[in-house]
Amino acid sequence: MQRVRFWNYFAVLAAAIICIGSAAIAAQSDAGEERMVAESASGRAGGRLVIAMRSEPKTLNPVLAQDAPSRDVIRCLTADLIHINRASQETEPALAKSWTESRDGRQYTLRLRRGLRFSDGQPLDADDVVFSFQVYLDEKIDSPQRDLLVVGGKPISVAKVDQYTVRFEMAQPYAAAERLFDGIAILPRHLLESVYRKGGFSDAWNISVAPSEFAGLGPFRLKEYVPGQRIVLERNPYYWKQDQSGRRLPYLDQVVFLFVASEDAQVIRFQAGDADILTRFSAENFAVLEKQQEAKHYHLDDLGAGLEYNFFFFNLNSVDSKALPEIARKQAWFQDKRFRQAVSDAIDRDSIVRLVYNGRATSLWTQVTPGNRLWIDPGIPHPAMSVTHARELLQSAGFSWKSDGALVDSHGSPVEFSILTSSSNAQRVKIATLIQDDLSKLGINVQIASLEFHTMVDRLLTTHDYEAAVMGLVSGDADPTSEMNVWMSSGDTHLWHPNQTQPATPWEAEMDRLMQQQLITLDYAKRKRLYDRVQETVADELPVICLVSPNILVGASDRVGNFHPAILDPYTLWNIDQLYIQ
Amino acid sequence: MRYLAHRLIHATLLLLAISFFSFALLQLAPGDYFDSMRLNPQMSRQTLTGMRSEYGLDRPLPVRYGHWLVSLLHGQLGVSLASRGPVAPVLRVRARNTLVLSGTATLFAWLLALPIGIWSATKRGGWADRIWSVATSALLTIPDLVLFLGLLLLAIRTGWFPTGGMRTEAAADLGLWSSAKDFALHLILPAFGVALVSLPVLVRHIRAAMIEALDSPFLRAARGHGIPNSRLLFRYALPAASNPLISLLGFSVATMLSVSALAEIVLSWPGLGPLLVESILSRDVYVVVAIVMLSSVFLVAGNLFADLLLFASDPRIRME
Amino acid sequence: MTHRHKLWGALILLACFHALVFFAGFFAPYDFATHNRELAFAPPTRIHFVDAQGKFHARPFVYGLKNDPANSGIYATDSTQVYPVHFFERGSAYKLAGIFPSRLHLFGVDDPGRIFLMGTDAFGRDQFSRFLYGGRISLMAGWIAAGLSLLIGIIVGTLAGFYGGWIDQILMRGGELFLALPWLYLLFAVRAALPLHIAEWQVFLLLIAVMGLIGWARPARLIRGVVLSAKERNFVLAARGFGASDAYVICRHVLPQTYGVVLTQMTLLIPQYVLAEVTLSFLGLGVSEPMPSWGTLLAALQQYYVLSSFWWMFLPALFLIPVFLLYYAAADALQERLSSVPL
Repeated sequence: MQRVRFWNYFAVLAAAIICIGSAAIAAQSDAGEERMVAESASGRAGGRLVIAMRSEPKTLNPVLAQDAPSRDVIRCLTADLIHINRASQETEPALAKSWTESRDGRQYTLRLRRGLRFSDGQPLDADDVVFSFQVYLDEKIDSPQRDLLVVGGKPISVAKVDQYTVRFEMAQPYAAAERLFDGIAILPRHLLESVYRKGGFSDAWNISVAPSEFAGLGPFRLKEYVPGQRIVLERNPYYWKQDQSGRRLPYLDQVVFLFVASEDAQVIRFQAGDADILTRFSAENFAVLEKQQEAKHYHLDDLGAGLEYNFFFFNLNSVDSKALPEIARKQAWFQDKRFRQAVSDAIDRDSIVRLVYNGRATSLWTQVTPGNRLWIDPGIPHPAMSVTHARELLQSAGFSWKSDGALVDSHGSPVEFSILTSSSNAQRVKIATLIQDDLSKLGINVQIASLEFHTMVDRLLTTHDYEAAVMGLVSGDADPTSEMNVWMSSGDTHLWHPNQTQPATPWEAEMDRLMQQQLITLDYAKRKRLYDRVQETVADELPVICLVSPNILVGASDRVGNFHPAILDPYTLWNIDQLYIQ
Repeated sequence: MRYLAHRLIHATLLLLAISFFSFALLQLAPGDYFDSMRLNPQMSRQTLTGMRSEYGLDRPLPVRYGHWLVSLLHGQLGVSLASRGPVAPVLRVRARNTLVLSGTATLFAWLLALPIGIWSATKRGGWADRIWSVATSALLTIPDLVLFLGLLLLAIRTGWFPTGGMRTEAAADLGLWSSAKDFALHLILPAFGVALVSLPVLVRHIRAAMIEALDSPFLRAARGHGIPNSRLLFRYALPAASNPLISLLGFSVATMLSVSALAEIVLSWPGLGPLLVESILSRDVYVVVAIVMLSSVFLVAGNLFADLLLFASDPRIRME
Repeated sequence: MTHRHKLWGALILLACFHALVFFAGFFAPYDFATHNRELAFAPPTRIHFVDAQGKFHARPFVYGLKNDPANSGIYATDSTQVYPVHFFERGSAYKLAGIFPSRLHLFGVDDPGRIFLMGTDAFGRDQFSRFLYGGRISLMAGWIAAGLSLLIGIIVGTLAGFYGGWIDQILMRGGELFLALPWLYLLFAVRAALPLHIAEWQVFLLLIAVMGLIGWARPARLIRGVVLSAKERNFVLAARGFGASDAYVICRHVLPQTYGVVLTQMTLLIPQYVLAEVTLSFLGLGVSEPMPSWGTLLAALQQYYVLSSFWWMFLPALFLIPVFLLYYAAADALQERLSSVPL
């Protein structure tokens, strides 16, 4: 099974490379339309695919959307210039049929496919592209993606060369430049420009937009929205991909997104056969669904580790010892590397994998998960859990034990702290509960404070009034560039000590340097070495104690053809233009 | 007429006070809607600050409340931070669904409670009374959540009922009759659950009101005149017991709404309940205020309706 | 006289149950936080009197459990491992009634055997012990919140009913306002303002107390009604006519009239506040791990995999029904007694 999947990936990867090499593969059809040929097996046209979503999409505006449900729907409605193939994790041509890069790596020239049309039949040209980037980069619009398009402190500049050619220029060479284009939807200038000029773009294309006012380049177009219940998409007759037999994609006539209130409701609807595809659910629910695979005509897939990494960390902020004396005092322990290592050694990661994720997760000792095939550093050591080693470390750091087994520091005060988690994430509360039990074996008395999400974020990032926390992050992309804000000491999500003006420690200064360096290094092998050193620093200094990466679990009805889930968001729907109903 | 005007003014003042204090309370909790994005590694603080000021979250409370009142006058109920659009259209459909659910549940509950209550009252102290008393007490002790979860499990295990939502996707293609049937099937389980929860209290009140009516001197006199029992019950006792029951109807609107919220969440009915929880947790403040206001309006309207019914049915009140 | 028996019966049973919970450490075989990581979601242990050979034993015993490694969460009994149940056994340390350290447990089995009367949860913690320990915090929460609601309810209701006029208007309109407001945000705010090193159960009791403080409006309305009728009674009018002060009349003649309603309300409110925690934990304000409470035990059922796979997780809900039934029976009997006692 595993082997077959590997070869599948390999085939797609190879195909993607060929695709980049000779973009001329695109088929020339009737009206000079340069369509892209999809690689997967050809399917049956027609039918309706039903997907249950955990919550309602908030907007259909691709520039403003930031929640997962909105993005899932918008991805079906729009297209980008260069796309990250979710199976290969590499870039591939999309609306741009080919591109060239200047020698210094600062200039990209993209050539658009000719003769493409938006879903309302209007043609696409370079003006639409220039307009789209203008909107994304507009400071007044506050697009969540704007920050990605600011390279070296300056926004990317976009210029039209001719009707089908656009040139992008960056302030400095940027290693992951091609990946920037993924998810930047090309907007129809003819529908949105006048709204934009009038300053009303923030209200445009909200969730209740009339279908006639919406057009995109995605495989589907908007049909109907019923608040609280569903959004219905229909086939875009102008879509720019075709299958190998020359038939225009997509195969499906309709895609229906049902809104349900929770993951459990999603699972229940899938089990009842009301929904065809289920994405990202807990291992416990996997076990429940697994029993009925045959009877209910669906199948489940465990894709292995995704890009999410869960970790434990101590508060290393420079806190005001007057305002938060308790935390300032405890930071003497937290700042000691041996203390952090002892805690890491005492945590039973296997138990977390088994009890929290039913075995459907992978233990971690660094932030890059095994799912990230291009960037994982195989040289990171995986020390087994060892209470003895942890005790030795604590002893060498001046800690000792009282007769009742309680750990005390060199001043004789007992070692106690609280772990902050978000109560809305059942898995992380469970992880904290296991850590609490594990650390009691070292004589550390741990309390769990599972707070409502906003209260937690407030403590974590605003007041810094916490001692330790269990958190998780999901990289937006496999490329390390998406993690700049986490590992740079000045970053907003440098969780253990965000927004430093000067790196607080030598190893943080070193990480800053490595992250900056990899950003502008164009050669993959050299970049990989730089990022490997970041991973080694994380594993050694333990600013965050990486614990576990949950597997990506998906399911689909047996009726769905061409179902090739991937570990990158959107996991199951990335090839929705090729899915079909058998 | 003056009575009605008085009531309406009173209700408006109450609603205004509710809206103001809701705003003040929302201010208390830490964090705002945009804080959830702070854990997104790809968004900078400048962008979030920009978003905050765009929606006026950085402005003082009285200013925001003033803006909200203006938007209320335009019938918009403020802006949802999540959907970046006016709240009213989002709420309209969901409020309708909630009303359909609570309405049906009220109907179910009264259809069940009236015969049980009357039966228990006429057989006071007898075996039927005892059985119903134990049954309704038992029902009262089952936590609502457990009851709804039990119903959900029933739907999943038996497959007799759909497990959530308001309709099956395929049913819409099959014409009016089957889509109506489909809708009814979706409605029946949550409505029945809500009805069950409010049943014990209803039965108790109906029983008590009937007993009081049956014990009253005029009924004893009527019984003495040899009027047959059934006629006695429905022609004399029931109308006499109707006053407290009509008030009860008004009051029960409040319980129905809060119970339906839980039923909606557990049984995935697309009403106000799930939206309220989502907005509370995500700090989508204007949506929360709007839902609080809307349920207060339902509450006030329920009481007003009951009073008007009383007014119409009881000449004594009309005299006052 | 039957309602008197009913009342005493209910009260005695309730007292027994409260004792069970109060001395949870003694009645529970294990600590509420002890993990058995190899026995997650183990079903309730069957207690045997007859062994595999068909021989009868006067002392009950249990078999060991084998975890099927290929099929996690599926357990088989291993009839080769026999663990007799001992009574008054020494086991894990606890503090009786929260004060006296002790190791004595009502029953238990020898290591490595385990006896789980109500099965185990996701960490292999004994649900029976958690149920008993959970009652401590839940019942305490119920009593505190109900007490506070009623205390304020009595004050407001008496003032409003006794003085009438604008005081009545303001207090009762205020009550209506109170009922409609989204108080959860106040709870969020209170939770956020508390430091993290306060024990979680204390935080929770504080939150429940705040809930109790907020919940005065309904009882106040009822008490006001009683006061309204009480103040028109002849002996009250007479006392006032003799020039007794308001305070004297209220304490001496009016308040005693409300006791019946107050007691009835108390027995009705306690179960409601115990269950209020389900909502609180839904919103992330419940008791934190590893402390158990009835609310969190019920809230666990919301997870579909628990609901559909582990029937014994329903047992806490099932056991709560008779407890609440007793409370309601007491309320009923009190009410009947009230209406039959001539005033």
